[in-house]
Parts: sequence; structure tokens; C-alpha cells
Amino acid sequence: MKRRSAIDLFLGGSLIATVAAFLYPVVRYLLPPKRPIISQDTVVAAKTGELAPNSAKVFRFGTAPGILVNTPDGKLVALSAVCTHLTCTVRFEAETETLYCPCHNGRFDLGGNVLSGPPPRPLETFAVAVSGPDIVVSRRR
Amino acid sequence: MIFRPARFLAAAALFAPLLAFGQKNGCIDCHSQLDGDLKAPVAAFEADIHREFGLSCRDCHGGNPDTDDIALAKDKSFKGAPAKAKIPLFCGGCHADPAAMRTYNPALRTDQLSQYETSRHGKLLKAGDTKVAVCTDCHGVHGILSARMPKSTTFPWNIPQTCGRCHADKGLMEGYRIPTDQLDEYMASVHAKALFEKKDLSAPVCNDCHGNHGAFPPAVSSVASVCRQCHAAAGELFGKSLHKKAFDDMGVGECDACHGNHKILPPSTAMIGTADGAVCIQCHDEGSRGFKMAADLRRTLDGFTSGYSEVEGLLSLARRKGVEVGDAEFSLQDVHTTLVSAENLTHGLDEAEIAKTVAEGEKALLGVRTAALGAVKEGRFRRQGLAVTTAILALFAVALALKVRRMGRTRRDEAGPGVPGPPSS
Repeated sequence: MKRRSAIDLFLGGSLIATVAAFLYPVVRYLLPPKRPIISQDTVVAAKTGELAPNSAKVFRFGTAPGILVNTPDGKLVALSAVCTHLTCTVRFEAETETLYCPCHNGRFDLGGNVLSGPPPRPLETFAVAVSGPDIVVSRRR
Repeated sequence: MIFRPARFLAAAALFAPLLAFGQKNGCIDCHSQLDGDLKAPVAAFEADIHREFGLSCRDCHGGNPDTDDIALAKDKSFKGAPAKAKIPLFCGGCHADPAAMRTYNPALRTDQLSQYETSRHGKLLKAGDTKVAVCTDCHGVHGILSARMPKSTTFPWNIPQTCGRCHADKGLMEGYRIPTDQLDEYMASVHAKALFEKKDLSAPVCNDCHGNHGAFPPAVSSVASVCRQCHAAAGELFGKSLHKKAFDDMGVGECDACHGNHKILPPSTAMIGTADGAVCIQCHDEGSRGFKMAADLRRTLDGFTSGYSEVEGLLSLARRKGVEVGDAEFSLQDVHTTLVSAENLTHGLDEAEIAKTVAEGEKALLGVRTAALGAVKEGRFRRQGLAVTTAILALFAVALALKVRRMGRTRRDEAGPGVPGPPSS
């Protein structure tokens, strides 16, 4: 191979590689995320009609779980699902319409208030709004 | 100017309470000129909750504050300062009277006196021991604050010191044959840590376990009920365990046998097993079934805990490298719940149930571990990618320089000899 061809090949190859190295993070950035997070303080927790009355769904809010409850009378409430005792994930108990922690049986009402057990503080409550087909949960300001 | 009687009366009614402030109080006038203990109540009463509700010296001590004459002030109604033995009845005169208390605070309980009479303090006082605590020893005298005020002696984070003032006093406690290290022990406990470090006002202090007005050391049989006020799940599990009958037969308190009473340390799996510091070996000798079970339990939990810690570390490493690990952290939260549940299940000693829970947790942990390893790999790939990209860019720069140089030579060669090249610097 001639010296000139070698330089051209060298130049063309490194140019392609440079463009690829530039485009890779750009493409990764432009691809939509797997989860429908709108911002750090707002998330699409569920689709309307997804939750039957007196049922709940745990959703991801940032890196922590939140819980969206559809009450028997159709009211949507959302709270942090992180128990204030030892940070276990709380669950909804339809019979009593309360949230309970499976770790040490801490129990909260749907306003987040501690009803019994060792949790020291109430659960954080979130704002819920229905936007088209989405149920959007936001941190209160 | 037209005089309007209706307006005058309305104004008089409006300002009447203000005028009352200017009324004479012979007690204050006289005591403020005295020294020491006789003067102290004047300043202290300024912040007293009774004053906030419009009560004055006369409402507790009787007498006539409308005169400067001491003899006239100490009329038939004058009670003065009550003897210590009579203080509970003195305060109870109002505080045990629902009709009287309803006037000031309908929600306030009125069973303090009857509770006090059932307390160790009350019983000893009735037996003639005037060293025991009465109302004023805990609540203060003339500067009594609402228990909701942080400076109150009965506000949660002041209660250990309020009780400790007597109970940590060796001289005072001499003769009662009770230890005086409760305050020091409590201050080292997980409950004190929650109260003082995390400012968790729901953390138990002395009165949450012993009662306040009816304070009494809980009997062995009632310790578990006291702890279950908060730790119901652990209590329920213990009630179904093999330990329940064994502890009852031995006359040992359920919770305090392993966790202690005042110095309750943060629980950990180190309490389980056969190593030094494990509580199981207090009763179970080497070679016994219980000894083997303790060792097995510890091994099971340690395996799960170490696996959890490893994944937590991997995710932390990936996060530090800038990789988004939110999904994996979200999944790890569920594993955390299972881990804490498994630790709590040890109260029930159901090996099969613990093994099942641990197995479920370890299965979920495996998925998170795969994601965590992938995230760490992604972080490594990005770092290596950066190195490769830098090298490529360097090579590109070199290639470009060579190309420019060659193009310059080619142009000179094509122009022929005699054409001057670019000026050299």
C-alpha cells in the first residue's frame, strides 16, 4: 500500500470512529427512557381505569416506591410507600382501607397518619391529577 | 358632642378585661419585695400555664390579694403552701374535678390523682414516705408549662432527666433497693437515639413504659404487653414461638430477656447465633438443638444480608460512575422489605417460614444483582469508550496533520522547481 493511501485510510477511519464516538452518547440521550417520568417531582403512576375501586398500585417515584390507591368511593390518593420506621415498602389492605408495613406491622390511614406500630412519622402524601389517559402524581410544594 | 349611653356601655364592656389587668394583687406586690424562695414564685408564675387561663395566687393558695395588710390577706380562706404529703390532694382539688376542669380544658383528663394513688410513688406517700415524687417534683411549682411546650419538664425529651433527677441520685434512692443506672442505660438505647438524634417524639421515654401518674415498674408478665404497644408484630410472632412457653416456665420477661430493658440497643443479626455477643447462648449450650438452630439461623440470615450488601455496593459503584440505576434501586427496595421481614420473623423461630422468606428474597436479589452487574459493566464500557475515543481523536489529529503536510508537498511538487514554499517560522 502506498504511503498516501495509508494516510487517507488512517484519516477516513479515524474520522468515522470520531463521528461514531460522538453519535453514540447523542443517540443514547435522545432515545426515550423506559419509564414515563415527567420530572423528578412528577410521574405518570397509572392509566385511568387501571385501578379497580378499593385497590392500589405501587409505582416508582424517583428511586423510591409510591403507592396509588383508588378508594371504594373512587377517590385517588397517592403517598410515599416507604415506611418511616425501617424504610420497608408499605402495602394496601382493602379490608381495613389502610396501608400496612409487612416488616413490623406499622399501620397508616390513607392520609398517611400513623395508626399503630412503630413508625415515628406519617407517610408523605402526593398530589394526584388526571391528565387525559394518565394519572399523574406530583410532590406537593 | 352627643352622649350616647349605648356606645359608652359597649366600650366599657370591651375594655373591662383590660382594666382588670390594673387590679391590685397584694400577693405579687408583697412577694416581689421579698428575697429568695419567697420572691421566686413572682417571676416563675409569669410563664405558668395557670396564669394563661386567668388563675391567680388566690385560686390555689386562698387569701385576700386585695389588701396590703398581711394579717387581712391571710384570712380564713388562706391555705398557704401545702405540706408535701398534701400536694396531690391540693392539685387534685381542681385536676380531679371534671366540672372544674371542663371550664378550662374539657379534653384534659381528670384521673391523675386516682392514678397517682395507685402508683409506687402514691402508695409510698400514703405510707408516710415524703421523699417520693409528688406533682410538683415532675411538673414544677409556679412555672408549670403545658406538656406540649419543649421547655416543659414533662415534654418527651425532658422526661428522662425529670425522672433521672431522683432515680439517678444514689443518695436519694438509697433505701429503696433499686438501681440508679436507668438514665445512663436509657441514654445509650435505640429509643434515646431516636428521640434525641432523630427528634422522634414518638420514641418511648420513661412514662411510656412505666406510666406517668400511675408510674409503677411493669411486672415480668406485663413487659411484653408494654413493648407490644409499638412492636405488635414481633410480639405476635413471639407468642406463637417455642420460646413463649419456655420463657413463661422460667418466669423470664419476653422481650427484655434478649433486648434488655432500659439499655435496648439497635437490634442486629449479631444478636442471633453462637458467637460472642449472641443472646441465644445465654440459654442454649453447645451441642443442644437450640444451639444448632441459632447457628443455622445466623448462617441463613448472614448469607442473605451479605448478598444484599454486595448488590447495594454494586449499585452505589454504578451510580458513582454516572450510570442510571433507578430501576435496580427500586427493585432492591422490595428485597430490603423482605430482608427486614425475615429478620423480624426470627421472633417466631419458624425455620421453614424464615427459609421461605429468605429464598424469595434471594431470588429477587439475583435479578437485581444481574442489573447491578450490568450497570457496573456499562460504567466500565463508558470509561473504556472514553479512553478509546480520546485515542481515536488523537490519531485523527495526527492523520489530519500528516494529510495537511502531504497536501502542501503535493502542491509544491505540482508547481515545479523555483516556486518558494511557505515561509518557515
